[in-house]
Amino acid sequence: MRELVFRDVTVRFGSGHGAINAVDGVDLAVPAGTVVGLVGESGSGKSTLAKAAVGLVPTAGGEILLDDVVMRRARDRRRLQMVFQDPYSSLDPRMTVGDSIAEALPGRRGRAARRSEVARLLELVDLDPARATELPSGLSGGQRQRVALARALAADPEVILADEVTSALDVSVQGAVLNLIRDLQRRLGLSILFISHNLAVVRYVSDLIAVMYLGRIVEVGPAADVLSAPQHPYTRTLLDAAPRLGASLDDAVPADNEILDEEPPSPHDPPPGCRFHRRCPIGPLVVTDRTICAEQDPHIDAVSRPHRAACHFAGGEHVNGAGGEHVDGAGGEHVDGAGGEHVDGAGGGRVNGAGGGRVGGAGSEDASSAGNQVREVPTR
Amino acid sequence: MRLEHWRSAMRSPVGAVAATLLAAFAVLAVIAPMIWGDAAEETEPAALSQGSSSEHLLGTDALGRDIALRVLVATRFSLGLALMATSISVVIGIILGVLPAVLGRRTGRLVVAVVNLAVAFPALLLALVFAVVFGIGSHGAVLAIGAAGAPSFARLVQTNVASVAGRDYVSAARVAGVSRLRLVVRHLLPNIGEPLVVNATVMAGTALLAFAGLSFLGLGVQPPSYDWGRLLGEGLDRIYLNPAAALAPGVAVVLAGLAFTLMGEAIAQVVGIRTGMFRTLDAAPVPVARAESAGDDDAVLVAEDLRVAFPAAGDGWTRPVDGVSLTVRRGETVGIVGESGSGKSLTALALARLTPENAAVSATRLEFAGEPLLGRSDAEVGRLLGTSLAMVFQDPMTSFNPSMRVGAQLAEVTRTHEGHSREEALERAVDRLRKVHIPVPERRARQYPHEFSGGMRQRAMIGMGLMSTPSLIIADEPTTALDVTVQRQVLRLLRDVQRDSGAAVVLISHDIAVVSQMCQRIVVMYAGRIVEELPVDQLASAAHPYTRTLFGSVPDMTTDRERPLATIPGRPPDPGARPGGCAFAPRCTFADERCAEAPELAVVGARQRAACWHPRQEPVPVTAAAETGDRI
Repeated sequence: MRELVFRDVTVRFGSGHGAINAVDGVDLAVPAGTVVGLVGESGSGKSTLAKAAVGLVPTAGGEILLDDVVMRRARDRRRLQMVFQDPYSSLDPRMTVGDSIAEALPGRRGRAARRSEVARLLELVDLDPARATELPSGLSGGQRQRVALARALAADPEVILADEVTSALDVSVQGAVLNLIRDLQRRLGLSILFISHNLAVVRYVSDLIAVMYLGRIVEVGPAADVLSAPQHPYTRTLLDAAPRLGASLDDAVPADNEILDEEPPSPHDPPPGCRFHRRCPIGPLVVTDRTICAEQDPHIDAVSRPHRAACHFAGGEHVNGAGGEHVDGAGGEHVDGAGGEHVDGAGGGRVNGAGGGRVGGAGSEDASSAGNQVREVPTR
Repeated sequence: MRLEHWRSAMRSPVGAVAATLLAAFAVLAVIAPMIWGDAAEETEPAALSQGSSSEHLLGTDALGRDIALRVLVATRFSLGLALMATSISVVIGIILGVLPAVLGRRTGRLVVAVVNLAVAFPALLLALVFAVVFGIGSHGAVLAIGAAGAPSFARLVQTNVASVAGRDYVSAARVAGVSRLRLVVRHLLPNIGEPLVVNATVMAGTALLAFAGLSFLGLGVQPPSYDWGRLLGEGLDRIYLNPAAALAPGVAVVLAGLAFTLMGEAIAQVVGIRTGMFRTLDAAPVPVARAESAGDDDAVLVAEDLRVAFPAAGDGWTRPVDGVSLTVRRGETVGIVGESGSGKSLTALALARLTPENAAVSATRLEFAGEPLLGRSDAEVGRLLGTSLAMVFQDPMTSFNPSMRVGAQLAEVTRTHEGHSREEALERAVDRLRKVHIPVPERRARQYPHEFSGGMRQRAMIGMGLMSTPSLIIADEPTTALDVTVQRQVLRLLRDVQRDSGAAVVLISHDIAVVSQMCQRIVVMYAGRIVEELPVDQLASAAHPYTRTLFGSVPDMTTDRERPLATIPGRPPDPGARPGGCAFAPRCTFADERCAEAPELAVVGARQRAACWHPRQEPVPVTAAAETGDRI
C-alpha cells in the first residue's frame, strides 16, 4: 500500500468567462493504510477530486502522486480504483457479476484462474461465489455495492476512492456495507479516500478528515480532532447542521443567524477574500471589524494554522465556545475544552510538521499507529 | 432482449402480421429461384408482350418471359440487395457512431461534425451521387444506398452511445483499465442494442424502396439481372396495355417494405415504453359508512385501512400499501419513517389522491378536515384538497414547471381556487416568497425555476403551499436532495410555517434523525404496514425489533468506532412477494411460529403502539457506546 498525494490540483470545467474551478489548488494526502474522509456539500468538488485521481476528468494544474511518483500514464492510474455512489448504474446490466469483476483483473490469465479469483473476491465481500453467474438485476442495492467493491479490489489497487458509497443505500443495508468497508480496510491495510456528505458516516470509518468548500480544502486533521475541535467555522456549521436523534430544531446554532446567507455562493462567482465569509457565523457579517475576511484569501497561509484551516480566525473562541456542547449532547465533558487545547498544541504541530503537501504523519506510518493517534485524543 | 419479449412482440397484431409477411418473403426468397429460376428466364417468342392469360397469369414481357414468375424469383435479389445495403449502413454507422467515444476529444468532435453535415444532406440525393460515383449497376447501388443510410444511423449510434458513456459502469470499466475497443464491444454496444435493432429493421424497408427507385431510374440493377425496381420500370412502359406487369412488382415492394417497417414497430413496442396495465380491483372493500369514532373532531386527516394496489403480471396484485390507519390532529407534526419500498411515499400520494392512474386505492374511511374523500367526484375532492392541503416533494426541480415563472406558478394556485385577479395573486405570491425567506422576492418571482438553487426551489414550493390556508402540509422527503446546512434551514422554515399557520404536518423521510428533530409522533412503516407508532421522546423505548435495529444501524456522532454497526440480516421483501404473517419475521431474531400470523397494532406503552407478537421491554441499546466511555 502506498501514499496518494494531491499537490496543488486544479480541475477546470468550461472555458472563457463561464469556466469554473471545480477543484481549486487542493493539497491532500492519503497516507498508506489510512482512511481519509472527505466531507463537503454537493458542488464542493469532492467527487471531482476523486475522478481527477483516476483520470476520469483531466486536471488543469498540479500533480497527483502515488508514492512520490507523478502518475502520468493510464497504467499508473489502474493502481487507484474507484467505487461509485449509485450501485444501480455502476454495474453493466448486460454483464454477469463474475464478468464485471473479471474484467478488472490485471494481466492475462486462464479461464479457471479467473473464475477462482472472482470466487475469492466475492467471498471477500461476503457474497456467495455462486452469484458470479447472475446479472445485477437480481441483486439488491447492498449486494450490488459489494460487487462494485469486489471489482475495485480485483485490480489489486494501492488506493481506493469511495465516492458516497452508502448514500444510495437504505439505512438497514448501509450499516452492513460500512462494516464491510471498515473490516476490509483493516484486514487488507487499504488506503481509502472516503467521500461522503454524511459526517456521521465519515466519522465512523475515517482516521483523518478533510473538509471541502467550493473547490478547496478548508480544514484537515485527525478525525477526532476535527470533529471535537473544528478550527474552521464551516466545519462547525456542518457539525451543527447534521441532524441527530433527540436534538430539536429550536436549539439555535451560530449559523442560524439570519443576516447570513442561507445558500452556498455560485462557483461561477466565488466571493472575494474568504469564500465562506458571507455564511460565516464568526465572519464579517456578524463581527463587523473582521473586514480582512472579505479582503484577504485565508487559503494562502493555511499551512501555518492548526488543521491547515483556511480561516483568518481559525480556532477562535467563537468556534471552540460553541464546540464541545454540540459535538455530543450526552457526554460533552469528554471532549470539551481539552480538545481545543490538544489540537492547538500537540495535534496542530504534528499536522504541520509533515509539511505542505502531507497531512497526518509520515508515509511510513502503518495503519495501526495512525489509528492509535486518533484514539489517543483526550478521553478524560 | 429476452426471448419472452420477442414472443410477446409476435403476439401483438402488428407483430403477428409483420412476422408472417417476413417469413413468407424469406421462404419465397429461398425457394423461388430454385423452383422457377429457369422458367423465369425462358423466352417465348410466340407470346411477346401479352396481357394476362391462363398460361401467364400476369402476362409476359417484351421477350415473352412470364412476369409472375419473374416477380417471385426477383424476391431473393431484391431483398438480398436491400439487406446488404442495410448491413453496410449499419456497419459504417456503428463505426462512425462509436468513433467519438474511442478517439480523443478533438478528433471525436471532428467525426461528430462530419456526421452532422452528412445527415443534413437528403439521403436519396446522397444515394444518387454515390450511385454515380460507385458506377451504375447493382454493386454500385448497394454501396450507394448503404453509404447514404450510414450518416443517420451513425447519428443514432452517437446519441445513444453518448447517453450510455456517461453511466457509472462505463467509468468503472475505464478506471479498471479496460481497453477502448473492449469498452465499445462489451459495454457500449450491448446497452444500446434495442434502438439500433429497431432502426435497422425500419431502415431495411427504406433501403428496399430506395433500390426500387434506383433500378427504376436505370441507375440500379442492370440487365440481364432483375429486381423488383427493374421489373417495375419495364412494366411501367406498357402500363396501359398490361397494368399487372407494373402493379405486381409494385405491390411486392410495398408489402416487403411494410413487413420491415411493421417489424420495427413491433420491436419498438416491446423494448420501448409498455403501456401500464389497467384493471379495477374486484375485491375492493366497499367503503363502509361507520359511526364516527369519538374524539376525532380535532382530526385533520383520518385514514382507516388504506390500501393501494397495482395490477401485477398475471392476475395478481401487488399491494405496496397494505392496510394503513393514520390519524393526524390539528397542528400536529407526524413523521413517517421507512426504507424504500415500505410504502411511505405512496401512502402520502394516496392521501392526497395523487396516485398513478392504474393504482387502486381503497380505505374503509378516508376523511380530510371532516369531509369524506371517498365516493366524491374528482372536482369536489380537487377543490377541497387544492385549498387546504399543501404538498412538498423530494425533487423541487421536477415539481415546478420549468417553462413558467415561479411567481406565476404560485399565483396560479389562488387564481384557480379562489378566483383572484392576476395582480392580486401575483402580489400574494411575492408576499409568500418573502415569508419563506427568499431574498428580493419581487425579482425572484419573475425568474424561472432553473434560476433557483435546490434549497431555494424547496422554499418556493413551501411558499406555494402557503398561497391558500393549508390545514395539512405533507412533505415527502423534502430535504433528501439538499445539503445538510440547507436541509436545516428548510426544516426550520417548515417548522416556522407550521407554527404560524397552525397547519398539521406529515413529514416523510428515510432519516429517523430528521424526523425526530421536527415531529411529535413517529410512525414507522415496513413492507406496506405500520409496525410501530410512538411519541418522539419515547424513541429509546421502541418496542418493535425493526424500529430498534433501525436505530442501531445508523451511525451518529457518538457511535463507537471500534464496534461493528448493528445490521439487519436479509433485505426488505418485494411488495410482490411478501411473506405471510409478520413481514419482518424472516429478518427478526425474536421470530417464532406465532409470527406466521400477521400481528395487529396493539398498545404497548403510553401513546405507543406496535405490531409485534414479541414487543421488547428493555431500552434500545443505542446508548451502549456512551456507557463504555469510548466516545470517538
